[in-house]
Amino acid sequence: MTEDRSHLSARTGLVLDRRDLMTSAAALGLAFGALGGPALAEDAPKKGGTLRLGMEGGSASDSLDPRTYADSVPIDYGYQIFNGMVEIGDNGEAVGELLESWETKPGATEWVFNVRKGITFHSGKTLDADDIVYSLNLHRGDTKSAAKDLLSAISDVKKLGPNQIGITLSTGNADLPYNLSDYHVLVVPNGFTNWAKPDGTGAYALESFEPGVRVLTKNTGHYWKPNRAWYDSVELRYIPDAAARSQALISGQVDAVNRLDPKTVGFLMKSPKVSVVQTKGTGNRFAFVALCDDPSYTSNDARMALKYGIDRQKIIDTVYKGFAQVGNDTTISPASPYFAQNTPPHTYDPDRAASLYKKAGSPKFRLQVSEGAFSGATDAGVLYQEALKKAGIDLEVVRVSGDGYWSNVWLKAPFCAVYWGGRPTVDLQLSQTFISTANWNDTHWRDPAFDKIVTEARVELDDAKRKQMYAEAQHLIADNAGMVCFAVGDYLDGYAKKIRGAKPHPRYDLCDQRVAEKTWFA
Amino acid sequence: MTLFGHKLPVTALLGLFIIVLNIAVAVAGPYLAPYGETQVVGGGWDPASAATWFGTDQIGRDMFTRLIYGARMTIGIAFVTTILSFAIGISTGLLAAVTGRWVDTLLSRAVDVVLSIPLLIWALMILNVLGQSLFSLVLTIGCLDSTRVFRLARALGIGLVSLDFVEVARMRGEGLGWVMRREILPNAAAPLMSEFGLRFCFNFLFIAALSFLGLGVPLPYADWGGMVKDNVGGISFGLPAALYPAAAIALLTVGINLVVDWFLSIDARPSGAQAEM
Amino acid sequence: MIRLILSRIGLGLLTLLAVSVVIFVLTQILPGDVASSVLGQSATPETLAAYRHELGLDRPAVVRYFVWLAGVLHGDFGTALTNGQNIIEVLWPRLRNTLFLAGYAALLALPLAVGFGILSAIREGRLTDRLANIVALLAISMPEFFVGYLLILNLSVNHEWFPSLATVGADTPFGERVWAVTLPAVTLTFLVTAHMLRMTRNSVLSTMSTAYVEMAFLKGLSRARVVTRHALPNAAAPIISVIALNLAYLVVGVVVVENVFTYPGVGQYMIDAVTKRDVPVIEACGIVFAAVFITLNTLADVTAIVLNPRLRHPR
Repeated sequence: MTEDRSHLSARTGLVLDRRDLMTSAAALGLAFGALGGPALAEDAPKKGGTLRLGMEGGSASDSLDPRTYADSVPIDYGYQIFNGMVEIGDNGEAVGELLESWETKPGATEWVFNVRKGITFHSGKTLDADDIVYSLNLHRGDTKSAAKDLLSAISDVKKLGPNQIGITLSTGNADLPYNLSDYHVLVVPNGFTNWAKPDGTGAYALESFEPGVRVLTKNTGHYWKPNRAWYDSVELRYIPDAAARSQALISGQVDAVNRLDPKTVGFLMKSPKVSVVQTKGTGNRFAFVALCDDPSYTSNDARMALKYGIDRQKIIDTVYKGFAQVGNDTTISPASPYFAQNTPPHTYDPDRAASLYKKAGSPKFRLQVSEGAFSGATDAGVLYQEALKKAGIDLEVVRVSGDGYWSNVWLKAPFCAVYWGGRPTVDLQLSQTFISTANWNDTHWRDPAFDKIVTEARVELDDAKRKQMYAEAQHLIADNAGMVCFAVGDYLDGYAKKIRGAKPHPRYDLCDQRVAEKTWFA
Repeated sequence: MTLFGHKLPVTALLGLFIIVLNIAVAVAGPYLAPYGETQVVGGGWDPASAATWFGTDQIGRDMFTRLIYGARMTIGIAFVTTILSFAIGISTGLLAAVTGRWVDTLLSRAVDVVLSIPLLIWALMILNVLGQSLFSLVLTIGCLDSTRVFRLARALGIGLVSLDFVEVARMRGEGLGWVMRREILPNAAAPLMSEFGLRFCFNFLFIAALSFLGLGVPLPYADWGGMVKDNVGGISFGLPAALYPAAAIALLTVGINLVVDWFLSIDARPSGAQAEM
Repeated sequence: MIRLILSRIGLGLLTLLAVSVVIFVLTQILPGDVASSVLGQSATPETLAAYRHELGLDRPAVVRYFVWLAGVLHGDFGTALTNGQNIIEVLWPRLRNTLFLAGYAALLALPLAVGFGILSAIREGRLTDRLANIVALLAISMPEFFVGYLLILNLSVNHEWFPSLATVGADTPFGERVWAVTLPAVTLTFLVTAHMLRMTRNSVLSTMSTAYVEMAFLKGLSRARVVTRHALPNAAAPIISVIALNLAYLVVGVVVVENVFTYPGVGQYMIDAVTKRDVPVIEACGIVFAAVFITLNTLADVTAIVLNPRLRHPR
């Protein structure tokens, strides 16, 4: 793969390979911690056994249709049954999956992708370009797909040959392969509609699907990726309760769990039966967002008072027990190589917050929080209230139901809790949230100067310049927008001691939700 | 020892003591508590020490202080919701019993509709529509809970309505309200009181269950049920934080019911057939 | 008698209809719909519109209700809006699980409650009575999830006697199923025993002052014999009624216990459906719950009427 791509880069004159950068991202961002005991040894992989997963992040209404995936459990079984088009490697680079390799012309609007040959679906059909075109088009045009926005820049997808497709973008984007690595973009055969009986190219074929209870899959025995997919079968159990999850792991009823409760993970690490894998600062960005066009928050002084009035370290220490990194009011993680190091951090300063608040005319602040926004939101809200009290600022904290939170509260309430997941590129991270026209601009902050920087950086290929531009963009957000991003969480996975091959991944937890194909039993 | 001319057994004395203690704590809370209700005094789940007698809660607030403030919120809410549910339940229940026929049928079926769906799901839906505030919480729990009281009151009412003294009153030409108030209610008082003791406690347990769905008493106030939920994650690792609010609930429940039992035993007629529906 | 039962069944069906209407109206008042709940944070106006159109949510609410009702009258509860699964096929195993757990808990709780209730009545005011009373009160005064976690801590983490996960599937053998469901069943036993125990005791005691019981005492029978032979049969009606209520609770009220033990019952299914606004699923669960509830109540009422001549001839 790597050779392919350096070859491509040389030919097109584009520096597409940001592998080096991503490697440094990994170095900065990941602390591989088998904190519960000796590191998970990397002995030779072995076939066999049933992997029993216990996961939060799904419900009885989960569907097999990738267009509706929204949480960890569907992503996990999605990657068991299907393959994506592009995979994100352990160090954050885009690696070919069913799209084997790619090239583009300067301006990054015209793209050519090569479809991997010799791949068969569970049904026996051989993968070709039509399948890829069909699978991409599921997310384009008149669709319910949650990935529609992400792929909206694609103006045309066409088949160039039996194993080649062409993609045209309306605006250039050097990061297109990263967009295609999205978990909604999974590959099914051309014309496929029967989602109850999914047909994919993944390592495991669906055996039984009981959403909200468990999902059983079985190894097809002929997976195309070398050195992957070791288990005979996988049993994914829904365990929404955090305490129940860790108990199930300790008592050996499951082999791996996601989303350990930071409050108790310290105790879990002491258990001789369990290893904890922590991925630093790539988890969710935890934030409170204020609408800049709401009377209480129109003054930037008011917004800055909110940013200086939150005791980030205190929240991280108590709510997340240290398993989070301090955020600086953008969705860019401090672990990212593009993180604006020179933006002064908004450390807790009650006096400054107090004077800014007075300057803003002492507006009324009312924060809506919910455990449905992110776990720990209510506790963080209460600590926020306490911290602001020391600055003489009265913050009313209202707990609302997690049910319907995203449709009723977020984007509507003047000040509320939100999390943003990590995105594979800085561009995606910034443009989905902060561009004036973004659907999910949850601070209603609109700055033409910022929009211009982000659009230009998208096609800027000189990395030093790009870094500079992103730093400037972050600076604008941190000092103007309505987002109080106080922490970037760590992912905390728990594994039984007998599991090998589990590593932190820069995108998602449980080995980028590919735990079923990447790990094995000792 | 005697009270109102009745001998007070040890259990009732104990129950009375528990109730008085709780009320005293609820009233005098702010003067007793060593810290502020929301004041963060340490790390999450710090062990007990001289400064924090029961340790700290999940985000470092003093557990002892939260328990004291929690008494006020918990007892207050439970009291108001129980009064509300009894007011609604008794009036509709006795009405159904006294009028009979289609009023009874209509009310009983309506109550069946409410009771046949899990209360939590009702609460989830209603609180979503009403929005979350102390007021809507009390109103929702009160109304939902009144269906249980309705069944009891109706059953008691039906039993009493056919008795001679009620029929005599009706023949005298007394109004419906008068009969309900003056003839039936006093005679149904004992089992209703027994029910009150249980429902009172069920109400704060229900608030605790609500917190499972992210609903409950508004932040940042302390309530015992919510405190159990917030701290229960530590139980599996031997952290006792959740035990204290749970013990407080248990103590008060037992205390109230000991006194209720005593009241019932004073009454010559034991608590009656439908005593605890 | 038969007319009474028939009218009860008719009323029950009407109640079911009322339940379906009330649920439907509530789901329409609830903010958000299935499209916005499924797409959640990643919804855009266009994707929402496309999703709604695909599910036919752009039709008027009244039309949707009657189309649904027509389906139900033909025995078709339809498919879930969120994932297109056949609702009956999903609901049936979950209902079986729910009934299994309820039955198990009832098997534990009923003998305990009635037994100790009678014992308390026999030994009224003595140590056994007071102890049973206080223990029962302690048991109900703990939140159910708290009881659940305590049991898990002691019986599945500290001693690995029972599993903390009660996930069972259709293929789980009976023995294993019983083993897996023990902890949730014990938790539920904590919840319902006290109520039935106190009821049994008080009902029995309330018949103690009647003439025929005094007569029995005058005959010189022992207290135990009087209670079991004379008082208990006459106190049966209210006891049965409370037992029915608690059995209904074991079916309808166990959402939290399902959550703590990850037990695949109807309650969790319904909660998930409510949060996703999956109206046909909410309706189906609601109707199943209501049907169980109404059946149990009707049974209790009929039994009570059969046992009590005074109620057999209503005013």
